[in-house]
Amino acid sequence: MDAITVDCRTMPCPQPIIRLKRLLEESSPERILVIVDNEPALENVSRFLASQGYAATSTAEPGLWRIAALREGDAASCKAPDSAVARKKAGNASENNDKVLVLLASPVFGSGDDALGGKLMKNFLATLPEFGKTLWRLVLLNGGVTLAAENSPVIDELRNLEQSGTDILVCGACLDFFELLARKAVGQTTNMLDVVTSMQVADKVIIL
Amino acid sequence: MDKSHASGCAAKIPAGILAGLLNSLPADPLARKRLLTSARSNEDAAIVRMPSGKALVQTIDFFTPLVNDPYAFGQIAAANAISDVYAMGGEPWCVMNIVCFPVNGYPFEILEEILAGGAAKAAEAGAVLAGGHSIGDTEIKYGLAVTGIVNPESFAANTNLRPGQVLMLTKSLGTGILATAVKVAWEGAEAMEQDVIRTASKLNAGPARVIRELGLTAATDITGFGLGGHLLEMAEASRVDIRIEAKALPVLPRVHEMASVGLLPAGSHANKRFRKPETLVAPGVDPLLVDIAFDAQTSGGIVLALMPNQVAAARNLLSDSADEAHVIGSVLPPSGGPRLHIV
Repeated sequence: MDAITVDCRTMPCPQPIIRLKRLLEESSPERILVIVDNEPALENVSRFLASQGYAATSTAEPGLWRIAALREGDAASCKAPDSAVARKKAGNASENNDKVLVLLASPVFGSGDDALGGKLMKNFLATLPEFGKTLWRLVLLNGGVTLAAENSPVIDELRNLEQSGTDILVCGACLDFFELLARKAVGQTTNMLDVVTSMQVADKVIIL
Repeated sequence: MDKSHASGCAAKIPAGILAGLLNSLPADPLARKRLLTSARSNEDAAIVRMPSGKALVQTIDFFTPLVNDPYAFGQIAAANAISDVYAMGGEPWCVMNIVCFPVNGYPFEILEEILAGGAAKAAEAGAVLAGGHSIGDTEIKYGLAVTGIVNPESFAANTNLRPGQVLMLTKSLGTGILATAVKVAWEGAEAMEQDVIRTASKLNAGPARVIRELGLTAATDITGFGLGGHLLEMAEASRVDIRIEAKALPVLPRVHEMASVGLLPAGSHANKRFRKPETLVAPGVDPLLVDIAFDAQTSGGIVLALMPNQVAAARNLLSDSADEAHVIGSVLPPSGGPRLHIV
């Protein structure tokens, strides 16, 4: 199949991304050839295509770059539903767009026995993806931030949630308190204003 | 020069419309005390009362809209312009509007909203609105000329970084990237726009109070050149090196994701490329965090240079004003090589 050519020369940033996003929403071509005339566009387009499950290679000529992109095979199509474009389609298909926020203020689930609580937390985070796309933000506060640090027993579960599109917000003051600022391995550092605004915007807030 | 679409004062916004817009702004309670001329009598210039013994801080900034809500744009443009006074440790005293607006293109209610947003921020900052200047133009631009006051013996400058100081940042990064995502109407654009508005319209009054109360001598606000660009300006002016920890950088929600799909604005690419020779990135540092460190910010936070024993006091003061307080790095003696180390 011939590649679809998208000529992005003379387009100001971020027009090339808009064009390509539209193209990918309308059809999902196997091969795309993108022509750009500046390095920022080369970098942005290459990143965009990689994020949408394309293997992209570029060749430079005087004053322009050609980016050849090939949709990755079945292995990669597993990745595709994670992409922002696919997420939008899924969001449109299901009518349920409620935003659920889960707040964890402790590294263990409940009180009773902390060893058990730790296991329950791991199981909880592993099962949380069952919420599907409605799981909007996971907020880690107080001792909960230790879950996001290097060597945390649930780092894979949190990364999995983040890759499926859940924002993980980690309280910066709490990281600082536990001296974990430099050891945060997942999520975005946040502050109380973000937490409160998130609670306000969310359709459902679950506090553990 | 002959590409100008109108000549000199002929490019003004029609007087009748302007008068209506200005009269619709709420009365400024500070005007009575601080202005010796009336804001409503069309004086040629404003006469402003000055406190004795203070030095003036003068600055000006204006730009094109980055959000779709005109009132919010007015607030952000004003907060951004006023921030330069705060970054020196000054207090805003009076402001003047600078307006470019398409005479035939947008309803004037939009301009009214922009001016109202700007006036509200000026009032919140405790500055009196002393006047302004408007001109017809092909695209909307708005900002303020700001005059602040500062103790002539005590203010914060770019030249006073010293090795051993700790650097604290007071707003999360990523407004340039989020504004780009909003511009392309990426999914979730509304929430991202709200994040931009919330952070960019927040006045840097709290960090300025820290500068004054702790007597800090070095600080800067983070705007168009990105965190990395503005830190390098300080490092060069002070002849020191700076180390920042990539993982300690506070980042607004979804910024990392938006950077990963290629929504980095051209200005941020330019910032990074321009400063490449002066920047040393340690192996293993997430390249997207480096991009975020050079993302062009609108009305970003202030970087405060603190002695280690001042960190707790600064944190307490910033907590009182509901500002963020992120320790992001430290000042090092000059190595002779690149001045900015990202580890």
